[in-house]
Amino acid sequence: MRDALARAWARQAIALTTLVLLWEVCSRAGLIDPFYAPPPTVIAMTFYELFAGGTIWEHIAATFSAALLGLFGGLLIGSALGFAAAMVRPLADVLEPVMILLNAIPRVILAPLFIIWFGIDLGSKVALSLVLVAVLIFFSVYSGIREVDTRLVERVQTLGGGRATLLREVYVPSVTAWVMGSLKVAVGFAFTGAVVGEFVASSRGLGYLLSFAQSTYNAAQTLALIFIIMAFVLLLFSLAGRLERWLLHWRYA
Amino acid sequence: MTSTAQRRKPKPLSERPVPYDPEADPPERLPGSPVVAVRNLRMRYGKAEPVIDGVSLDVASGQVVSLIGPSGSGKSTVLRAISGLHKPDGGEVKLSVEPREMGFLFQDDALLPWRTARQNVALGLRLRGTPKAEAFREADRWLARLGLSGLEKRYPRQLSGGQRKRVALAQVLALRPKLLLMDEPFASLDAIVRHHVTQDLLQWVEGERIAVLLVTHDLEEAQALSDAVYLLSRGPRARISASYPIDIPRPRDLIGVRGHPTFAPLLQRIWHDLSGEVDQLGGGI
Repeated sequence: MRDALARAWARQAIALTTLVLLWEVCSRAGLIDPFYAPPPTVIAMTFYELFAGGTIWEHIAATFSAALLGLFGGLLIGSALGFAAAMVRPLADVLEPVMILLNAIPRVILAPLFIIWFGIDLGSKVALSLVLVAVLIFFSVYSGIREVDTRLVERVQTLGGGRATLLREVYVPSVTAWVMGSLKVAVGFAFTGAVVGEFVASSRGLGYLLSFAQSTYNAAQTLALIFIIMAFVLLLFSLAGRLERWLLHWRYA
Repeated sequence: MTSTAQRRKPKPLSERPVPYDPEADPPERLPGSPVVAVRNLRMRYGKAEPVIDGVSLDVASGQVVSLIGPSGSGKSTVLRAISGLHKPDGGEVKLSVEPREMGFLFQDDALLPWRTARQNVALGLRLRGTPKAEAFREADRWLARLGLSGLEKRYPRQLSGGQRKRVALAQVLALRPKLLLMDEPFASLDAIVRHHVTQDLLQWVEGERIAVLLVTHDLEEAQALSDAVYLLSRGPRARISASYPIDIPRPRDLIGVRGHPTFAPLLQRIWHDLSGEVDQLGGGI
């Protein structure tokens, strides 16, 4: 099992290295136009310059603030609404169609509207990120409660458990499992919201830098920024994975 | 919670009429006070035709009563009405025990997957106000009694089907119920495990002299464990179509009981009557 995992890692590393080397050689040999795909070493230099200048941190901080605020706000609001809808039938009748609609459309189309409403600063980015996450979490919590294992509910009832016990022993743990299932997707959504928001209109953030790099046809800088965003999202993915393993330890024990 | 059923002297067994009439024929054979009296129970799910209609039965303390019948006849529904999981549509369920003195062992072994064996067993005790440390000690004692020592900290998915069933049993027995409702509790177990778990349960029930109402498909199991077997007619609108007293002395042994002279003839009779109910479905097997 461990051997198989190690072999898979080795294969992936070899494939990646080969691809990067091939890219470098082809780009230097003029087989692909460096204007579109600058060689990896040039991207690495741009990467270095971005960090050496120091100003990149301000942009990273801006994007992170927006993404994390949106993530936590979305988790909070999505959970609260999902819980309320599952508990109060009339509320579900009103909320469910709205959420289904919001779920069906590409929610990033709300970005221009949020910029009109909340300005080009942090607020509009947080709002977009929050809406992306909240709709996802709403459905996790809503279906988590609606589709809770009725056998467990009855088991706890016949053991003498009331509403508070049911909530603590059955609903919260089973909803936690559902939410953890969508947490990684939520992290991705939170960054999508933040970066797209910045892309549309802003004066700070990785999305703003991306938009700037694109407007000057700077492919090296664009790629470097994409890699930075990827690195941060992967970092958060691994944190989310750890959180999941900790909260759902009974599943991995 | 009122107790019911003025006691009459039971008629000699040979004169017992079939079909069953609860008013003329109180079924308590053993000396014991009535624990459950179901009268003319009608249950329906939603607007559908009632699943059961006019079911009456009694269980006294120290008595094991089995409920058998064709699939879908509403055997589980009777248990659900007694346990309070579903409100009766008509008729009544009289209990002389508090709801907290009832134990319900389900067909599945759905333990809380996020709780260890110990936590699952302790849950009912904790809900009755037992302090945590004491509830855990008691849980461990019950797990040990059912042969699960050393598995206290395992989660349900780390246990085998038989082990999970034993945890579920410990969960219910730890509450020392005066009335035990069981819905095909051992149907999913393989023969050997099933035999051992059933024998454990039988010993405990005989020792504590609690009232037991068992729903089962297994006629031999019903007869081996019970003091009386009730046959539910095919649904919808199922009712008790026959009752059979089982006159085999206790304590019983699951293997030995099958050698009792009345065992085979009665099994045949119950089998014949049950087949009659099933045949009326017009399907055959």
